[in-house]
Amino acid sequence: MILLHGHWRQAVSLLACDALEGAERDATLAHLEDCPSCQVELQESQALFRTLAADPVHAAQPDLSVEVAARRVAARATETLTGPRAQWGWRLLSLPVVAAAVVAVVLLAPPLLERFRLAQPSPAEPAVTLSAAAVGRLERTVAREQAARYLNEAQDVLVTVASTPPRCRRQTPGIDLEDESERSRSLLARRAFLVDLTQDGLAPARPVLEDVEQVLREVAALPPCARRQDLEAIHREMSRRNLLMKIDLMARELEG
Amino acid sequence: MEPSDRELMARLVRGERDALEPLMARHYRRVYRIALAYLRDTEEALDAVQEVFVKAYQNADKWNQGSEVGPWLTRIAVNHAIDRYRRSRRRAASEQPLSEEQPDHDPHLTAGTPSPERQVLGRELGEQIGAALAGLPDKQRAVFVLRHYQEQSLDEIAGILGLSLGTVKSSLHRAIQRLRGELGGLRA
Repeated sequence: MILLHGHWRQAVSLLACDALEGAERDATLAHLEDCPSCQVELQESQALFRTLAADPVHAAQPDLSVEVAARRVAARATETLTGPRAQWGWRLLSLPVVAAAVVAVVLLAPPLLERFRLAQPSPAEPAVTLSAAAVGRLERTVAREQAARYLNEAQDVLVTVASTPPRCRRQTPGIDLEDESERSRSLLARRAFLVDLTQDGLAPARPVLEDVEQVLREVAALPPCARRQDLEAIHREMSRRNLLMKIDLMARELEG
Repeated sequence: MEPSDRELMARLVRGERDALEPLMARHYRRVYRIALAYLRDTEEALDAVQEVFVKAYQNADKWNQGSEVGPWLTRIAVNHAIDRYRRSRRRAASEQPLSEEQPDHDPHLTAGTPSPERQVLGRELGEQIGAALAGLPDKQRAVFVLRHYQEQSLDEIAGILGLSLGTVKSSLHRAIQRLRGELGGLRA
């Protein structure tokens, strides 16, 4: 019965913002006739939309003419295409060429050297060593990027938690943390795939990553409608560790 | 007869830059209002709109020619506004660590008097609505902005955001409930 009424509460919200159509709208209107609590619900949501109708955003106009904006867009697009990213594009394009050259040296140098009877060490070994180093560098870069991404996502969750989300419902004491709790669980589940703490390049980030994991576990363990004192305990913990600031600094460092 | 959105996009793909202005003229205000509804800052919104069209211009060749241009631009605009908003929120949070005594709402993030440098909309009601919207999780906020400020249907919102219809409905319902809690005492 409660679940069923939850469905009608949702339908009434959607009706209030004029988002229902056809049979769903008709069924909700019919239900409203015999449901006094849904009528109150509808009136309160309609009052919200009367307030929102006065939001100045509805009538806002951009201060810049479309002609000027179009010129700026064209200039920015061209600038970006010829800027540092484009240069990186050329560098990336050149990578396969360099790699092919290294492979060619590795494969062709020994027979050529033998043919000319040169008593010099084969260049194959240094080339293989260089390639392994390049792979190592690539792995470290990817590990740092993934760790930064993980920290950024964790920070999104913790910033919302820090901003004290609204109460569950007016009649119910408690804070609505269902989304944040779910996102924390999802992040923790993905952490093992995203961040390899054994990577040397991540050693400086390890303390922050461990702090983040601990706080995320606390958020993940909260019920959907959390007690205010539990949330305040998490706030104090985050504050004591200066966690948001540390995450920001570390994410920037990892991103280079 | 004026060229269609698709014809203008096809010209952009061919590198004809003069197709940009007529395409922008059709979608400029709409994209601006999405950005403003999300970011609540006129300067930020104006900058975001230009970045949205830069992205569209640069990715014109990735546009699926069988699809409508409007929803494609809307998707870029919403994703860009979300990214931009997250960045500014992270910046704000890292500049102001949590204090020992937490008020009911962190004024820097969700409510209270906005700082002049952030240039939030001037009117008090707009500020309070902006503060209430800022308290919504990203998904709820995006769904609500598309429904209330853009009057997109639930199916269209599902398509733009890549969500199921059920998720769109529940997100919109939860957004309305939260906003009622935040703005219930206000009268326009």
